[in-house]
Amino acid sequence: MADETFLSDDLLRQLMSVGEVDLLVGILSHSSANTMRRAAHSVEKSLQQNFVRQRVAIISVDGGTAEDSDSDEHSGDGQPGNNSYSKGLNSLRTIHRITAGFNGAPSPGLALRTILSSSDLLRAKACAVVSPATSSTAPEWVANLLRPAFRDSFDFVAPLYSRHKFQGLLARNLLYPMTRALFGRRIRELYSDEWAFSSRLGSYCLNEDVWHEEPVRSRPEAWMGVSAITSDFRCCQVYLGEKPPPPDGAGPDLVEVLRQTVGNLFWLLETHEQSWMERKDSEPVPTFGPEHAVTAEPMEINRARMIEMFQTGVKELEPILKSILSNETLAGIQSVAALDQHSFRFSAELWVTMLYEFAASYHHSVINRDHLVQALVPLYRGKIYSFIEEYSDTSAREMEAASENLCLEFERQKPYLTEKWKAGVEVKS
Amino acid sequence: MALQEDNLWYKDAVIYQTHVRAFCDSNGDGIGDFVGLTQRLDYLQELGTNTVWLLPFYPSPLRDDGYDIADYTTVHPSYGTLDDFKAFLTAAHNRGLRVIIEMVMNHTSDQHPWFQEARSSRDNPKRDWYVWSDTDTKYQGVRIIFIDTELSNWTWDPVSKSYYWHRFFSHQPDLNFDNPAVFEAMWEIMRFWLDMGVDGFRLDAVPYLVEREGTSCENLPETHAIIKQVRKRLDEFYPGRMLLAEANQWPADVRAYFGDGDEFHTAFHFPLMPRMFMAVKLEDRKPIIEILDQTPPIPENCQWCIFLRNHDELTLEMVTDIERDYMYDEYATDKTMRINLGIRRRLAPMMENDRRRIELLNGLLMSMPGTPIVYYGDEIGMGDNIYLGDRNGVRTPMQWNGGTNAGFSFADPERLYSPLISNSVYGYQVVNVDSQRRFGHSLLSWMKALIKTRNSYRVFSRGTMEFLRPSNHRVLAYIRELGNEKILIVNNLSSSAQAVELDVQRYKGYIPIEMFGRNLFPRFGDLPYLLTLGPYQFYWFRLRRI
Repeated sequence: MADETFLSDDLLRQLMSVGEVDLLVGILSHSSANTMRRAAHSVEKSLQQNFVRQRVAIISVDGGTAEDSDSDEHSGDGQPGNNSYSKGLNSLRTIHRITAGFNGAPSPGLALRTILSSSDLLRAKACAVVSPATSSTAPEWVANLLRPAFRDSFDFVAPLYSRHKFQGLLARNLLYPMTRALFGRRIRELYSDEWAFSSRLGSYCLNEDVWHEEPVRSRPEAWMGVSAITSDFRCCQVYLGEKPPPPDGAGPDLVEVLRQTVGNLFWLLETHEQSWMERKDSEPVPTFGPEHAVTAEPMEINRARMIEMFQTGVKELEPILKSILSNETLAGIQSVAALDQHSFRFSAELWVTMLYEFAASYHHSVINRDHLVQALVPLYRGKIYSFIEEYSDTSAREMEAASENLCLEFERQKPYLTEKWKAGVEVKS
Repeated sequence: MALQEDNLWYKDAVIYQTHVRAFCDSNGDGIGDFVGLTQRLDYLQELGTNTVWLLPFYPSPLRDDGYDIADYTTVHPSYGTLDDFKAFLTAAHNRGLRVIIEMVMNHTSDQHPWFQEARSSRDNPKRDWYVWSDTDTKYQGVRIIFIDTELSNWTWDPVSKSYYWHRFFSHQPDLNFDNPAVFEAMWEIMRFWLDMGVDGFRLDAVPYLVEREGTSCENLPETHAIIKQVRKRLDEFYPGRMLLAEANQWPADVRAYFGDGDEFHTAFHFPLMPRMFMAVKLEDRKPIIEILDQTPPIPENCQWCIFLRNHDELTLEMVTDIERDYMYDEYATDKTMRINLGIRRRLAPMMENDRRRIELLNGLLMSMPGTPIVYYGDEIGMGDNIYLGDRNGVRTPMQWNGGTNAGFSFADPERLYSPLISNSVYGYQVVNVDSQRRFGHSLLSWMKALIKTRNSYRVFSRGTMEFLRPSNHRVLAYIRELGNEKILIVNNLSSSAQAVELDVQRYKGYIPIEMFGRNLFPRFGDLPYLLTLGPYQFYWFRLRRI
């Protein structure tokens, strides 16, 4: 049951007007009102074309633009310029648009909680969460995400993207293989801007007492996915297409990215400890849609800067790394750092061992957890440098094979993590 | 009661549509007739309707329920005589009831003497009264309307060894309006009835009067020219008489049939009808608002005619494919219920005999802009018989009482032109006028009250309409306004209770008075006006500034 007091009166009034729906799409952003409006229009178009009979609503959750959020509140019932016949669109019903703003500081977690609460109160059978950028550029994704949850009774629908082989490197080298090895489900994109879920999973997550936790506040999607996996909800993936670049052209700061993803993952290991420890091996999940090939056009990457930052980091952070890593692992990393550009290789075995030691140290709080995650940043750069060097001239297929081997290495070493996790804190001088 | 002198009477009309054959049989031959109909005119007056629209009553082989006319200037012997018709007309007028009759201009029966002459020889003077061709390739691409029965708009005539054109059944050859003699003949027929005193014509199948290569053969300028000519003569020689267009087209196309107020006085709003049904099933006002937003304004002296059901199938020509599929899935799950592009069912069965939904739809019918048409029997919730073939299932005898033949006829039941509805839900023993007259809460009594209320306020027939668009999409709310007369109508289209906040700030200070119980509601203030409505409930409020 949703905590109704959590919702503003204005939102509640809008939900009352909508009533019950079959599908809900949440647009989750801190973007400008115009961006949100465009996104809502785009999502509406997708819903009109793909779910002509269903009762659907779109909720835009945006903390920064509440002041003009009511301008598009109600749509699709023949308002001037919104004529579905003239547009060749087909939806039989009104597509409701809801806007939810916050008085306090917004966060993705708060936004998701708002969407879950709305979904619960509207009794939506399936709900998708999308970003404004995605929904504007690829509106059909919304329908592709919703279908498995709405029509095929899947509880969690993760996206699969077509990417350049050197894009999504954090997911390829860390997030996917580690979550796969630990939680036992081969879901590639647990940290993504869009996903879908069933009413069952939505209600389950809404009732979890985690909403005050910082990892959930900042990156709630992975928590939701992992909750689905560990509680044995039906999960699947759906191929969507090429992931659009960020709207401003630049990605977020790497430190912040790792804090929000790897830090989040380490926290998930703690909260789902029993579940991942019990799981062995990994299983594929049903995957829908036409597969999209990895692209491999030449790409401009400042490699020299990467290796330089790795080497500097290993040297300057040695005291911190000593408290996180075993002596053998630290020595291994230092020896990698000593290699020149041409012979530089960061092996999969060392990478996995190092990450598991980081995870265990996070668990044991050997140092401030935030500092711990920050210490991983230069090491990640080293691994990525090595990856690019190794696969710059290989085919996408060869790279996929290597990625699979990395996943298997994560699975092979899982007992090592379990051992380190259960062991007491190793006090180092 | 004498007829009111008002040339715009059709705007204030509440039309009752019936078939002579189906209403009352006075001579026991199993077929309704004019004498019987005349005997039942008090009922129409009691119901509150003020205009009767009769389906074709002309001599006909009756292969299309009389729309295949074999003689335009007399009465089918089964229905009586011309004198019987004149007596009926006088009796109707004496009760203040106007009479609209059918005029099928587009085609005749193949049994009509004109066609018999035309096919007899290529040299016959009547030959050019119809559309002939040596091939069946002219006017390619023109849609076939009766897709269940016709494969082509051309049929081979073995007598004259050529093809003739027909937009409907093959036994209904289209007249050739490029021949001025055809127009003059038709006008003479109209004069015949106008001189007798009929108040108007429903012109059947008007979009199809003229054919031109390379076009859809629908809505052509030449067709409009013919209508303008009819209207001009009507205004000149018979002011106050009315033309009603049957043009099953999109509103923008039908709009042309009003011309500049110099073609039809009224026209059916076909696309609105299925959307009222759709809105109630979807529990969403979108279909109604969407189609009315697309409906262009019409000249001041013109009026839409709106209806829920009629003698034909519930036509789904003016909907999208997706909408049609939805309507079929929701209202015609049994494929026997479907015919052509439509659904051959009556109102009550379509509403699963849910009194609340029947009332809601009638409430919409009576409160929306336009002249409402009530199809005979729907005012008592009559059922249908989908197994009778064609559209005969919605043309069964009127159910007057629970006695022999439902009070329709004293013939042997086997002799009736159609079996009665006799099942346990809609059968005449249960659903009939007499039983419903006995109770104030019956559907018939409720319909009388509804029509009476509508007739009491001219704003319903002549006022403007403005949607309020509250955020709750299950609620359809609109204001009708005519001078100082203001009516607020709020409809809950859903099966569950609803709360709605209405923006009525413009009417701040007005007191809403519920029109059926005459109860006062709280005065409109600065805040949105909160109303709660039960499932399928609707309110009509008269707004008064006191």
